[in-house]
This record gives sequence, C-alpha cells and structure tokens, in this order.
Amino acid sequence: MKDHQTPRDAWPSPELDTLTLGMLPLNDAAPLVVARERGFFATHGLDVTLQVESSWAGLRDSMQLGLLDGAQMLPLMPLASTLGLDGRPTPMLSALTLNLGGNAITVSNALYASMQAADPEAMVQAPISARALAAVVRQRRAAGEPALCFASVYPFSSHHYQLRYWLADGGVDPDRDLELRVVPPPLVAEQLEAGWLDGYCVGEPWNTLAARRESGRVLIGSHAIWQHGQEKVFAVREAWADAYPATHRAVLRALLEACVWLDGSAQRVEAARLMCEKGYLDVSPTVVEESMAGEGTPAPHGVSVFHRHAANFPWRSHLRWYADQMRRWQHLDVAAPALADCLARCVRPDLFREAADDLGFNYPLVDVKSEGEHASQWALEGRRGDIAMGGDQLLGGGRFSGQG
Amino acid sequence: MTVKVLIVDARPERSRALEQALRDAGFEVVTRADEHDDLYAIMTRVKPDAVIIDAALPSRDTLEHMGQLGRRFPKPMIMLAEEETPDLTREATSAGVSAYVVEDVQPALVRSMVNVAIASFEAHRALKGELTKTQTTLSQRRTIERAKSQLMETHAFSEDAAYQWLRKHAMNRRLTIHEVAQAVLASDDFES
Repeated sequence: MKDHQTPRDAWPSPELDTLTLGMLPLNDAAPLVVARERGFFATHGLDVTLQVESSWAGLRDSMQLGLLDGAQMLPLMPLASTLGLDGRPTPMLSALTLNLGGNAITVSNALYASMQAADPEAMVQAPISARALAAVVRQRRAAGEPALCFASVYPFSSHHYQLRYWLADGGVDPDRDLELRVVPPPLVAEQLEAGWLDGYCVGEPWNTLAARRESGRVLIGSHAIWQHGQEKVFAVREAWADAYPATHRAVLRALLEACVWLDGSAQRVEAARLMCEKGYLDVSPTVVEESMAGEGTPAPHGVSVFHRHAANFPWRSHLRWYADQMRRWQHLDVAAPALADCLARCVRPDLFREAADDLGFNYPLVDVKSEGEHASQWALEGRRGDIAMGGDQLLGGGRFSGQG
Repeated sequence: MTVKVLIVDARPERSRALEQALRDAGFEVVTRADEHDDLYAIMTRVKPDAVIIDAALPSRDTLEHMGQLGRRFPKPMIMLAEEETPDLTREATSAGVSAYVVEDVQPALVRSMVNVAIASFEAHRALKGELTKTQTTLSQRRTIERAKSQLMETHAFSEDAAYQWLRKHAMNRRLTIHEVAQAVLASDDFES
C-alpha cells in the first residue's frame, strides 16, 4: 500500500507550526488527543495545543472569531455556520470525518417500565423501536399527563436528528408528542435521575454512565439507527483552509494516522487512559475504557469506528443525509441548488485525497454513496484497490440515494 | 419598564456581586440560577429580558436552543468570560459581538452592558427579520417564474398570458399569486 506514497520531502511544508485546536470532553475527541499525545502532530511538524471547550456554542464562537485554527465539530455545524443559521455567518468546511457511530438513546427506569407494560412484545424485538414509546405517549395523553421530555446535545447535532429518526420510525411525532430539549452531556444523567428528563440521545461515556449508575436503560445505539453513520468531523474556517493549505494537509495526515492507531481495541484502552490522565475527560477511567472499547467487548451501544470502512472519508452524501433530516422537520429552508453549492463548499473530499496520497492510503474514488443498501460488509472501488466498507442500514429499512 | 435579568452562574460569590450591581443599576428583577437548575422551567417562569451566563458553562447549549425556539424565548445573552481569556473578549468586541464581557465588570458599566446587549439583539433580530422577508420574496418569485414557464409550455401561453392566468385564478379563488403558482406546480392538471 505504501508504494504510491508521496515522498516525504515532497510534502509541502506547513505555513504555521503552532496551532490551537478545539474539542469537547467526549470519547470521540480521541483522534485529536491521540494525535497530540502520541506525537502524530509532532511528526508532521506541528506543535498543537488542544483547547477543551465546555459547550458547542462556545466552540462555535471561538471558531467563528478565529481563536481556534480548527476543531472537532458535529457534522451539521460547518453547514449551519456557512449558511448563517448558527452564530455569525462564517464559511467552514470539513475534509475529514473523525468517527462513525458512538451515540445511544437512554431512557429512565420509570419510562422503561412503562414501555414494557404498554407494549411488551415491542420491547423484546431488537433493535428496540419507539413503538412501545408511542403506546406510552397515547396512554399519557388519554390520562391528561404532561408530555415526556427527551434531550439531545445541540440543536444542529447528529444526536438530535438520530433521535427524531428513531422516534418517527416508531410512530412518535417529535414535535407533537414530546418536548425536545438540549442538555449538555455531563448533565443528562443527573437530569434523568432528577426526573426532568425521560430520555436522551448522547455520545459516550454518558450512556454507559447512566447504565452503570442504574439510573437509566440504554435502548438503542446509533449504529442501529444509521449503521456507520457520520458522527464527528474535523472542521476549519474556509478562509483558514485557503490561507494555510499545507498546514491543513499536515493536520489531516496526523489525524488520519491517529485514527488508524485508534482502530485497534488494545489501543482504545490506552486512548481512554490518555484522555483521563491528561485531563481531557473528567470521568472515571473505567467508564471511559468500557465505553471506548472495541467490538466484541461488553460495551454494546456506542462503539465508535475511527478508521476502517473508509470512516475518515468526508462523504458529501453524509452531510446531505443530515441536511435532508433538517428539511424533513422543516429546520432548513434553502433551495436545492443553493444547498448543493453549500454542500460542495462545506465537504472537501479533494483535500482528504491529497492528505491520503501523502501517506499512500487508500480512499474512495467517488464523493457520494447511497445509504440503506448494505446489511453487512461490501467492497467499494478505491484508489489503491477495493475498500472493505461496513453495512449502512437505516432503521426501518430506509433508503437514501445520497443525491440531492 | 422593569428589565428582568437572569444570571446563570455556577459561582455564587460572583453572581451575588453581579446581582447587587444589577440592582444598583436599576434592574428590578434578577433571578440567579446555577447550571444544575432546570433552565427550561426557570426561563418559562421568569421570562427574562436578558440572560447573563458564565461563558464556560456547558448549559450555554441549552440557552442556545431556547434562543432557537425563537418565538418563545428570544433573549439577548451576555457571556461572562474569565480574566484569562482576553483574546476571546477582545476578538468578540472587535467583531461587534458585544455579548462577551470579563467577569470583574464595574457596577457603573453594568447598566450600559445590559442595555447595549438588549439593543444590539433587537437590531440583529430586526435585520434577520428583513433578511427572512427578502429570502421569502425571492423564493416566492422563483415559484411564480417556474409556474409561468410550466403554463407557457403546457398551454402555449405567452409569458404575459401566463401571468394574467395566474392573476385571474388568484383573484377568483381569493389566493395570492404565489399560492396559485404552488398549486400549479404541485399538480400537472391544475385547471379551471
């Protein structure tokens, strides 16, 4: 695989050598932490400081104000920033996906019990659908009880739209039948315990944590809602990418190498320790280890895929899927041609391919793929041979062409 | 008019001092909350005119969401930033985002800080409203253009005849031309 690698001395040298990158205290910030702590940034000539932000809004402000060179972001954030839906209109783009999957939906013990009582048959089917929840909603409405309250982590989040997808698939109207809130990840478990929330969709370790504390039950992982769906991206401002193309390319190379490293399950445990010991995550290391662990281990729901199955490739169709979900719920009112232009600006597979070529890595030749066609592994033609892709099923058998 | 300010802060000493400063500056109702309180319930109950929040609190995302629910809770937010983040406050200020202030703000400045935040929020909201209106008009115009071309194709109308046709149906049915255009595009056999 390495024979097509661009010779190291032919790599353009970074215009900047000192960078500050933003992240949130989440498991899937692991590629940034690993790239820094294991020296991948350093080998590409970059001295990187990681700034841990406490909210997506704070991270967005720092990015829009130019205080960060780049950041871990939710897939819809660059689009929302470019369109001016979120904060000050600031064009942003992503040329690398950090991970696929990693979220789960957890409900309170009380709601879990009500769901079992209302529709026991639905609750033994896997994956657990929202069908039993729909029955609970009907019962509560008939009894004049207040609407159930669910949370996700940010308005423009993958969690928000995965939660809506799951609810709608089970016959629950997220706008009419429930109250949807935004609650920061570190607070969801305690609000579930306090009874302010009946359920939430959040990334790890916050589902594992609720399960360990026995304050909630994890119903379904995001892989069962959208198998190998895009979760976090690495984003920069468009103006920054234009000004510092070689620096951007070096960051992408370092992150790619970190993601490869993270693919092994032994490394996951080490990464979990790194995140806790170096102070990036303020959660018990055992919880992080358990929730970070690879497949075949006890963590069943929120397993992130960091590299295999072309996980890092920035599919234009992945962002299109989220944009379509926004349109589905009338959260996005942009004419189709304008949206297509914006997607082309916000997702840059061309820049990914340059970085992958530097390293001699394989990558897809097309920018768009369909979703919902493959139940298990399949082969996709790549630049350096076939790529073993993962399944891409959508809950309820949904299909998505990837086209606008 | 009473201006109600809600302070969301995890540090009681600081928020007590800020509350005092706000009262001294003439703001009559101030409620303090910390991040572990139920912000949705508090916002619904208090209906503040402005919110001051510690910029480092994760709960900012919660308030962002309430801001997005728009019609219910459109609130100017003022961020309290740490002394150690001069870049943030400097950049925010020079970018016209007056909402970031450092925490040891002088009581005398508190009144203008809140008033400026409310005023710039209102101005921003008015501008956004204008923008939405312009975008709507544009998209309506596009719909009408598309309906016109469809009519020109299917009925061999001239452009003017197509427009007159839309106008006549709009008047007869007490609809806007845009609504008739939508109906034309929605069904190929929109007739009569």
